[in-house]
Amino acid sequence: MAAISQGTGSKFFFEGESGRNTRGLLRLIILVTIAAAAVASRLFSVIRFESIIHEFDPWFNFRATKYLVNNGFYNFWDWFDDRTWHPLGRVTGGTLYPGLMVTSGIIYHVLRLLSMPIDIRNICVLLAPAFSGLTAFATYLLTSEMTTSPSAGLLAAAFMGITPGYISRSVAGSYDNEAIAIFLLVFTFYLWIKAVKEGSIMWAGFCALFYGYMVSAWGGYVFITNLLPLHAFVLICMGRFSPRLYVSYTTWYALGTLASMQVPFVGFLPVRSSDHMAALGVFGLLQLVGFTEWVRTQLPSKQFQTLLRGLVLVVFAAAFGFLVLLTVSGTIAPWSGRFYSLWDTAYAKVHIPIIASVSEHQPTAWPAFFFDLNMLIWLFPAGVYMCFRTLKDEHVFIVIYSVLASYFAGVMVRLMLTLTPIVCVAAAMALSNILDIFLVAEQPVEGAQPQANGNPRANGPTTATEKLASAIPDTLRSTKTPVVGIYSYLSKSAMTGAFTAYLLLFVLHCTWVTSNAYSSPSVVLASRLPDGSQHIIDDYREAYYWLRQNTHQTAKVMSWWDYGYQIGGMADRPTLVDNNTWNNTHIATVGKAMSSREEVSYPIMRQHEVDYVLIVFGGLLGYSGDDINKFLWMVRIAEGIWPDEVKERDFFTARGEYRVDEEATPTMKNSLMYKMSYYNYNALFPAGQAQDRVRGAKLPAQGPELSTLEEAFTSENWIIRIYKVKDLDNLGRSHQEAGAFEKGNKRKKSGKRRGARVLRVD
Amino acid sequence: MRLIQWASLGLISLVAADSNLTLESRNILPSTFKPPQHFQNVNLVRNINLEKNYVRETVNVVIENVGKEAQSEYFLPFEPGTIARIGGLEARDKKDPEKGGFVAEVAVTDEQSSTQFYKITLPTPLQPKGQLTLSISYWTLASLNPLPAQIGQTDKQYVLYTFSAYAPSAYLTQKQKTKLKLPTTDVPDAVTLPKSLNTEGKEDPQKQGTSFTYGPYSEIEAGALQEVSVRYEFTKPLTHSKLLERDVEVSHWGGNVAFEERHWLTNRAASLKNHFSRVAYQQSAYYNPPMAALKELRFPLAIGSEDPYFIDDIGNVSTSRFRTNMREANLELKPRYPVFGGWNYSFRVGWNGDLSGYVRRLKTGSDGFVLKVPFLDGPKQVEGIEYERVVTRVILPEGAINVHFETTIPLISNTTSLHRTFMDTLGRTTLELTAINVVDELRDRELVVMYDYPFSARFRKPLTIFGGILLVFVVSWVVGNLDVSIGSKVKAA
Repeated sequence: MAAISQGTGSKFFFEGESGRNTRGLLRLIILVTIAAAAVASRLFSVIRFESIIHEFDPWFNFRATKYLVNNGFYNFWDWFDDRTWHPLGRVTGGTLYPGLMVTSGIIYHVLRLLSMPIDIRNICVLLAPAFSGLTAFATYLLTSEMTTSPSAGLLAAAFMGITPGYISRSVAGSYDNEAIAIFLLVFTFYLWIKAVKEGSIMWAGFCALFYGYMVSAWGGYVFITNLLPLHAFVLICMGRFSPRLYVSYTTWYALGTLASMQVPFVGFLPVRSSDHMAALGVFGLLQLVGFTEWVRTQLPSKQFQTLLRGLVLVVFAAAFGFLVLLTVSGTIAPWSGRFYSLWDTAYAKVHIPIIASVSEHQPTAWPAFFFDLNMLIWLFPAGVYMCFRTLKDEHVFIVIYSVLASYFAGVMVRLMLTLTPIVCVAAAMALSNILDIFLVAEQPVEGAQPQANGNPRANGPTTATEKLASAIPDTLRSTKTPVVGIYSYLSKSAMTGAFTAYLLLFVLHCTWVTSNAYSSPSVVLASRLPDGSQHIIDDYREAYYWLRQNTHQTAKVMSWWDYGYQIGGMADRPTLVDNNTWNNTHIATVGKAMSSREEVSYPIMRQHEVDYVLIVFGGLLGYSGDDINKFLWMVRIAEGIWPDEVKERDFFTARGEYRVDEEATPTMKNSLMYKMSYYNYNALFPAGQAQDRVRGAKLPAQGPELSTLEEAFTSENWIIRIYKVKDLDNLGRSHQEAGAFEKGNKRKKSGKRRGARVLRVD
Repeated sequence: MRLIQWASLGLISLVAADSNLTLESRNILPSTFKPPQHFQNVNLVRNINLEKNYVRETVNVVIENVGKEAQSEYFLPFEPGTIARIGGLEARDKKDPEKGGFVAEVAVTDEQSSTQFYKITLPTPLQPKGQLTLSISYWTLASLNPLPAQIGQTDKQYVLYTFSAYAPSAYLTQKQKTKLKLPTTDVPDAVTLPKSLNTEGKEDPQKQGTSFTYGPYSEIEAGALQEVSVRYEFTKPLTHSKLLERDVEVSHWGGNVAFEERHWLTNRAASLKNHFSRVAYQQSAYYNPPMAALKELRFPLAIGSEDPYFIDDIGNVSTSRFRTNMREANLELKPRYPVFGGWNYSFRVGWNGDLSGYVRRLKTGSDGFVLKVPFLDGPKQVEGIEYERVVTRVILPEGAINVHFETTIPLISNTTSLHRTFMDTLGRTTLELTAINVVDELRDRELVVMYDYPFSARFRKPLTIFGGILLVFVVSWVVGNLDVSIGSKVKAA
């Protein structure tokens, strides 16, 4: 009885109309669970540390969000920030991508409306995890468009949810543009595919809308701007021009470009910059192709051939010539430096050291692919290969995307992020195909004869071969000929077992990577005490809070640009330079001040009204990310502007070593950065024993002396050192003279006393 | 964000703190006012306690009505500028201390420069020739000033206290003396007064260990002053709280009382002569000398307190320890950096307590509750802490009515308002009490709040949430059933 009722029950639940509902519900539950897993795996840092904004850029975004929430949207739009880039200021409202801040602002106000007054910091911290849940859902939609297998989408969503390549930029607290941009990227692609498939203006309109959102959120929108035209172009080249493509592309381009131009930072770039010309070109090409298609229906084919050839040549030559003309005349902005460095990895190092100095702009090391994607990286080519087999319009997209993104990910570490979605999609397609084959395929009945009378083809496939052909999707060549071994439980269980193990290992790897590599706020450092308990090293915040509480509201702080956003966000003090590296000269000025002698630096600091100088010093703790290790970049950037005054060669010893100990070059020893780093550091050690633990160097017995600066604050572990710039001397002497006078005063007196009186003889 | 708001609020109220006077005063006297000479002080003994970083004065005075009618208003004068720093003034009958304090109010003249008064109203008028022993005590905040104002990081700190050797009085004082209790014997300077002034012909001050005595003096006219000062060693932080905001949030559903305190501290101690030297600070850590820097704050909380947090504007401060067991719940906080003289530190601490430990149901009515919490917790330091302004908010559950309160702390204002927060429809009933010039010795004083929390109010929130979710379902069902497709007619056909 029970068995029967269960049988009917399962029939009820898995077949027919209610079966569809059940599957839908099941899918929903699975997706929600995946989203929950995606969010949960990003919370390591909140649980281990606290709800805190991470790293550098997020601090600016957080500060901007607070400004938006406090002052309203229009003030934010017109925001001129006089607390950064002193004395220049920054037109912040017009030079940022506002999507992220506006998103959090809207969430903040909606929650307020529902009488949930959640702190804006918590919204900012948890925005990235929340959007990663949405990204998983968008990936599901995108993948479902690519394949008929229902499991592929779910697998892709799961992969996207936990793959470290994406987690690296979306852990809780990593409040950066990428936090929402990846969701927008994937969702825009989904809408594009949908539009191309259906040729519907509605989907293309949505696609343009989300493209506009993406433009407002991240500079990486250029990837979409170039990928969609490329897709359209390749489709045309493959002879797949269709009204669907025409409708969706033209709708997307017209609306999307208009939408993108609403962002002040983008403005007229879509019609002026080279980066956007491909989209415009393809737009024109589509019109031409559409026109010729129409002409073809009107003309005989012979004449048409001639016409076409002529037309293509003329138009191409005209368009190209026009483009070159515009570029030369300067109407179209030339390619940006970051763009060049995409093609020539050595370009930045030579021409724009400021871009090269950022670690995330370095070329990717190959283990990083395995580190960030684990087993997906070897499923990825299989998935792409499968796309080649059923090469519909949307599969062409996958192929193009994979090729481009793979290249870019190889060039720049940071672009691993754009590769990750397509890897997840392709890998999920490959894996779901394997699982479908091995889990669904049933053992054909051996030796079953075709029925005596009647055409077997009319009655459907009955032979083993035909049954197989219908059961197995036309995918792998080896399955075309029946090999009975595959259907045995042994091979099935071996295969599924192996893949289950791989999947489990994948989860393990993702968790490990997330927990160990990507969940450190970098503002707070953690170490272990001998008894295994966690010890928090909180020097950054100690010093920033000191600045915030005990210096004047308008005291200008000079530091290397890495810490600009943090000083703005945590210490709330004006800075000279920050992570928005828009003015290379200003950064070079700071670099020059840091790398020159005091006599040179002091006038620079006076001119820029610097009150405090903040440096990071890891020598005591062995913290390697300190300013002495970054020092050469400062020198290089300063040398780019003042090649006569700052020379990188002078900081290396005769044997070409970069040293801080006794054998350091005089230029090094006299540089402001060196002096500030090691000032008073000797006093911590017995005489002559001072040691720098980062560079493993024994420091000179005599510590450096400062005359124009005085130590104002040093954090507990000496990581942050703050110096106050002295005022001008009261008696109009230079500080060196004043210092020498104060020290030499006694010596002179004693000398006078000791020396015998001599009559002056003329 | 909220903290910034609070901070700016704090600034506003700081500005207001200087004009506290007008807020507080209920009696505006004409500028020519002079207290009528109905009384005279027969014998006056003033004790000035300087052991903490605020000054506690206790004046025991025998007063006599020399007028012809029964009098009940006794005026106590203060020098201009000081009255805004006087806190916790209490007057009582020394012979009958159980009777409770007399009413003491600030009475100011409308001119800022002239002397200001506290008016003490005796409960029963004193008959002519009648005598009464008054015991008046109060604290003076921010009256110790470091001299020299700048010292080295490990130097001793000396503070200067300036006062009048004659107790300020609005009446003729027949006999009086002033005793000082100092924390140390290291007193480099104390103004000496000539023997002629002293009734017993001794040179003031008379030193005996750590206590100094000025007087006795006899027949001192009303309003006579004799300025003297002492300078003594006090190598401790002069912790001064510019503002303390305290929230007590009662949740009947959660069975929880949540406390939060937001402090804006500053150290009034001598500032550093040179800048802060970490080397010197780290070296001094080994032998731990007395220092004018604030290094640690200890909060003895009510037993059973849990989930403490210690944060400031930029996040969690990891240098805190919470020791809790059956007998104690001590929260030990270390500021992010040692707070030297002239430096500021603002932070937030919070913790939870069990509702049953603070709230009792009244026996009279089924809906009546009574809440008993300390008016302020704050840190308990050996050297003491003074608060310029304390704002305590008691956030009662949504729908609480008939709110009454009782406290022995002198308040300057109380308001009841609504505070709208998580999932509230109306807002929670909030009682806001403000006191000025409070010291940490008052941290044991209690605040009792009585309120009614009707049964119906308790179910407002779950019903609202239920209704809201129901609305979402209904709307989505309606929207899901709408047919907005353009081609629907074609399909039907």
